Amino acid sequence: MTSLEDKFEESKRLGLQIVKESEEDRLMTLSIGPQHPGSGHFRFTIKVDGDYIVYCDPDPGYVHRGEEKMSEYRNFIQNIPHLERPVIHDSTNITYAYSLAVEELVGIEVPRRGQYIRAIASELNRQVYTLYWLAIYGIFLGHSTMFMWPTGDRELFIDLLEALTGARVTHAFNIPGGVRNDTPDGFKDRCIRQVRYFEKRLKEYEDIFYNNPLFRQRTEQVGVLTKEDAIKLGVAGSVLRASGIPYDIRKAEPYDIYNEIDFKVQYMKTGDSFARSYVPFLDMKESCHIIEQLLDKMPQSGEVRAKLQPNPKGPPGEAYRRVESGRGALGYHIISDGTPKPYRVKISVGSFRNMLALPFLLVGQKLADMPSVYWSLNYWPVEADR
Amino acid sequence: MTSAGDLIKAIESGSKHLVIRRFTFRYPEQKLKFVGDGYQFDPKRGVGIAGYRGRHILFHDKCTGCQLCAIACEGIAEAIGMVKVDEQWKQNKKAIMPQIDFGKCVFCGLCVDACPFYALFMTNDYELSSFTKEHLIYTPAQLAIKPKYQGDVEIVIDDRGATHG
Repeated sequence: MTSLEDKFEESKRLGLQIVKESEEDRLMTLSIGPQHPGSGHFRFTIKVDGDYIVYCDPDPGYVHRGEEKMSEYRNFIQNIPHLERPVIHDSTNITYAYSLAVEELVGIEVPRRGQYIRAIASELNRQVYTLYWLAIYGIFLGHSTMFMWPTGDRELFIDLLEALTGARVTHAFNIPGGVRNDTPDGFKDRCIRQVRYFEKRLKEYEDIFYNNPLFRQRTEQVGVLTKEDAIKLGVAGSVLRASGIPYDIRKAEPYDIYNEIDFKVQYMKTGDSFARSYVPFLDMKESCHIIEQLLDKMPQSGEVRAKLQPNPKGPPGEAYRRVESGRGALGYHIISDGTPKPYRVKISVGSFRNMLALPFLLVGQKLADMPSVYWSLNYWPVEADR
Repeated sequence: MTSAGDLIKAIESGSKHLVIRRFTFRYPEQKLKFVGDGYQFDPKRGVGIAGYRGRHILFHDKCTGCQLCAIACEGIAEAIGMVKVDEQWKQNKKAIMPQIDFGKCVFCGLCVDACPFYALFMTNDYELSSFTKEHLIYTPAQLAIKPKYQGDVEIVIDDRGATHG
């Protein structure tokens, strides 16, 4: 019997080019995205050793649109339609923070009824975003019912927003000084009816998806992010709350009328993929209560929009305001030099910070767990690239 | 935690939907019902009137050719251009009116907010597809036509679930 070493020596003597396998050759490099439908417009390279991921390198920037630079060439009102493009599913929340910052710069106050309508639109939009995210999360865990149901029920909220704002996704509804129009006739009854129906549907979601043993096996104890690591990495929104930190901008820095609303910050302590996917679900439940409270407390009549010039400008200065979007804290830092156009606009988004946790969580996981970790991060590539 | 009971519950909750009427509807035989006749703006009060933001409608007897809509669209979509018209109106000495390129328009409705003469509103018409880009450019004469949109379906919720009917 000849050993492997002898064979290798013999092949060398015969002039054959046989190379010994090195430690590096065990690793295989895989590229996920940017065209892969599972990653969004985002690419990350992973190296696998057998079934285990040993290296991950995120490569964002495929949908960079230069929103911040574009804002410097348009006035405060004209900025609204293009600033909502990064997240068209959550377009009310992304212009909410912008409007708050501009109002602080220009120095105007929104009428009370306007503040309530704004908060209702923002909560409805949060539901639309979370349902869309849940649909994608469902289909990438192989649960096609969970793709169909949220996509269908999303229509309940899109229908309400369509009646309120006039558009199905890109609302352009929040403007500095309030909202663009009052609620249509019979909006309150329609809203309460559809939100109550949705609350019933959430119980079915729990039965078919969250309490499903198959789903639990794929997500529990997968990609655990501890409390300390979550703080160090600076993650935001549902990812932060899933790691046991009850932090919500609506509670921590209440904007508009959120200090008058009674609600609980939803959080979980385990920090695994299941917790990260269950916290947005709890948020949806809480959002339904918030909408019902807002509709009850809303003043029956009054102004919805403060008088504002078509080309508003304020004294030189800067403002930073943030809101809780579907993906965590979303802040705008606007510097004005006294002209009608902003001197600098900086958008700070939760998506980008959640993406930075991806290499940390993926290394050491199996390849098959990649979708359950990646989508649980509540990451929207277009918003992260701006 | 992993129990057969949960699995049976999951299957049960899904199979219940085999007998419930579906939520989708048959477009284009059925169409969604909208609130009002489209988004409008009241310049006196400075507030819009809720409605769907579809294609625009231009009232020739009110347009003064002031170009405020075209200025509002600058930097957003640059879809509005002012063109010469043959008609003679007392309020429109220059005889220019907006022409809208719906290939560029983002339907934000800020041009409607800019119009101080109740001349430019939006309608419920959203079916604008055409085979060429040129057909998407609507001249003032085309914009004056009131669209015939008939929506007949809205969300109905009863004990058995939600449907479009």
